[in-house]
Amino acid sequence: MASIVLNGVDKIYAGGVKAVNGLNLEIRDGEFMVLVGPSGCGKSTALRMIAGLEDISGGEIVIGDRVVNHLPPKDRDIAMVFQNYALYPHMTVEENLAFGLKLRKMPKAEIAKRVNEAAKMLGLEQYLKRKPAALSGGQRQRVAMGRAIVREPQAFLMDEPLSNLDAKLRVSMRASLNQLHERLGVTTVYVTHDQVEAMTLGDRVCVLRDGLLQQVDTPQNLFDNPVNLFVAGFMGSPSMNFTYAELVRDGSGAAVAFAGYRLPVPDSTFAEKPGLDRYIGKKIILGIRPSDFEDAVAANGNAAGWVRIPVRANVTEELGSEINVLFTIDAPPVEHKDTVAAQNDGDEEETTLPLSGDKSLWTARVNARSHVRPGQNVELVVDTHNLHFFDVDSGLSIGHEANVGR
Amino acid sequence: MRHGKLSQASSPMALRRYGFILSFLAAPLVLYVVFVIAPYIQAFQIALTNWKGISPDFDYVGLENFGRMFDDDVFWQAVRHHGLLLLVMPLATIAIALFFSFLLNVGGGQANGRRTGVRGSAFYKIVFFFPQVLAVAIVGVLFQAILRPDKTGVINNALGAVGVDPVGWLINPDLALWTIMGVMVWQAVGFYVVLFSAGMSSIPSEVFEAAALDGAGRFTLFFKITLPLLWDTLQVGWVYLGIAAFDGFALVQVLSVDRGGPDNATTVLPLEIWRQAFTFSKYGYASAMGVALFFLTLTFAVLTLRVTRRERIEF
Repeated sequence: MASIVLNGVDKIYAGGVKAVNGLNLEIRDGEFMVLVGPSGCGKSTALRMIAGLEDISGGEIVIGDRVVNHLPPKDRDIAMVFQNYALYPHMTVEENLAFGLKLRKMPKAEIAKRVNEAAKMLGLEQYLKRKPAALSGGQRQRVAMGRAIVREPQAFLMDEPLSNLDAKLRVSMRASLNQLHERLGVTTVYVTHDQVEAMTLGDRVCVLRDGLLQQVDTPQNLFDNPVNLFVAGFMGSPSMNFTYAELVRDGSGAAVAFAGYRLPVPDSTFAEKPGLDRYIGKKIILGIRPSDFEDAVAANGNAAGWVRIPVRANVTEELGSEINVLFTIDAPPVEHKDTVAAQNDGDEEETTLPLSGDKSLWTARVNARSHVRPGQNVELVVDTHNLHFFDVDSGLSIGHEANVGR
Repeated sequence: MRHGKLSQASSPMALRRYGFILSFLAAPLVLYVVFVIAPYIQAFQIALTNWKGISPDFDYVGLENFGRMFDDDVFWQAVRHHGLLLLVMPLATIAIALFFSFLLNVGGGQANGRRTGVRGSAFYKIVFFFPQVLAVAIVGVLFQAILRPDKTGVINNALGAVGVDPVGWLINPDLALWTIMGVMVWQAVGFYVVLFSAGMSSIPSEVFEAAALDGAGRFTLFFKITLPLLWDTLQVGWVYLGIAAFDGFALVQVLSVDRGGPDNATTVLPLEIWRQAFTFSKYGYASAMGVALFFLTLTFAVLTLRVTRRERIEF
């Protein structure tokens, strides 16, 4: 096992496209690092550079204590799991697992031992004599994992290994991956565009956008303290609600005003976010997570710092355990380049239906016991301790430790 | 239901559709029957006669033609040549074509995240295909100039420059067949380079990347990954080339000294058939040879497909 360090790594493709731009990242020994971002953000390229499948245009990659910039893939002592598994179609499962070991001239007994161990760990024992074509998607995925495990490499690299599986299998494979990592403790770099995978799997998550590192932190910190509008909008589903608002302070204390609403800002927030007080009287972008809303009835009275706002539910999505209430607020949607980019996480150019006109469509996630129906007026409460404030021009989170003094 | 189907089939729309499909099927079928099946059947018939090809009269002579054929040294010589061609020509062509297509597609390693061929591989692909575009007769004439036994031949001229005596490429009986085989390989390689290139590009690049991560060098990559995954394409190539080895008429006719010479050293069955029929006017005997050639080709095709049968590879 080893740490992986990227020092100012660049990837410039022919034609001058910068796929990865000055990436600095330290992946600690035994850590599960997830690279996440919308398609085309350079996450796969970064992974392939670590693997040695792509040349490095600039900077330095260190695995363990070796600079590997000019080492061929086979000498980097890493194993990779591909999105389409890339099993050798003409070999049985057993031969697939043993191939890398045979090429490394390992004694036969040792190969057999490792293959059997891996097969047992992954529940592949009864499939050892089959060819990949006779396996289901999930089984193929496990063979691909097994091929990485038997090598006992310094690090695992995984390039969207679960995205070819159906939704249910993906959830169970996600759990298996978690267990596997706990058991083997091998440094893992995992690429995905799925922020749920990123949140659930990663010890730390690295958010990339257009080849630029946005933020590296634990999943909870990314969720609670996003560094900018992009990270705020990208992490979390449904994504964060944004609006232009004005920060004001009058006799009754500080408040944020938008679309006819007025939410008091607790003093503790100003303590947590140094520099926020300088924005008083100025326009900011306010962000509220859907999960920081609750139905006033279900919330059962006022907790401290929860403020009521009356809205009219346009659409409700009942998910069983909770309800997503979609409502419009009387303010133009935030058209910042960061929020637009964060919404575009799919492969296709998706534009939402212009149902809301020039109003912002917000989502609130409320308890399933709330019986809100479309078209009803409903009282929501907002947790004012978890308000997010962003600079209108830069899109940076105000008062975030990484942004102070920037 | 039945009624419904009937009325559907007899409706003008359906008639037109079936007519359309049938017309497509009929044209090639008729051509095939008239120009392939019928002559074959006729050959079997003529092989049993002493027909001269010019008079309408002939007698059935039973298997006399076949008896004569089995005693004919030239026939056996031609069969031996086919055997040799069959052993060497497909093997050499496939080996060379595989080598080139591997270099053109995978051999260059990585660039911009894709496995690529050696520098300029797109250009080479086109150049390699040139011989395939040339008519066999032109190839023959070209190589006559190249292989001339005196110093006016291109090769002998070059050899002379380094002090080697002229080689009788086509006039030396021990060498002539090998020379012609070389020309056949030269002409065939380009097509198989393109065929195998197509086969290689259908292998997902991740498989090569996975192998590279597993520690495979170029050598292992070729023998353990590329070759087994290309097996289906190889098999097709083998059958084509094998059947081509039973032909060779045009090239031998144009290129060899004295049409199959010197001293029948390069003769092949199609050439013998042609000579017996059109030079000696022995149509019955020529047809008997044709029947023999038919069975040789058939045996080869069936054997190859049997021997090389494997389960299909899915990606």
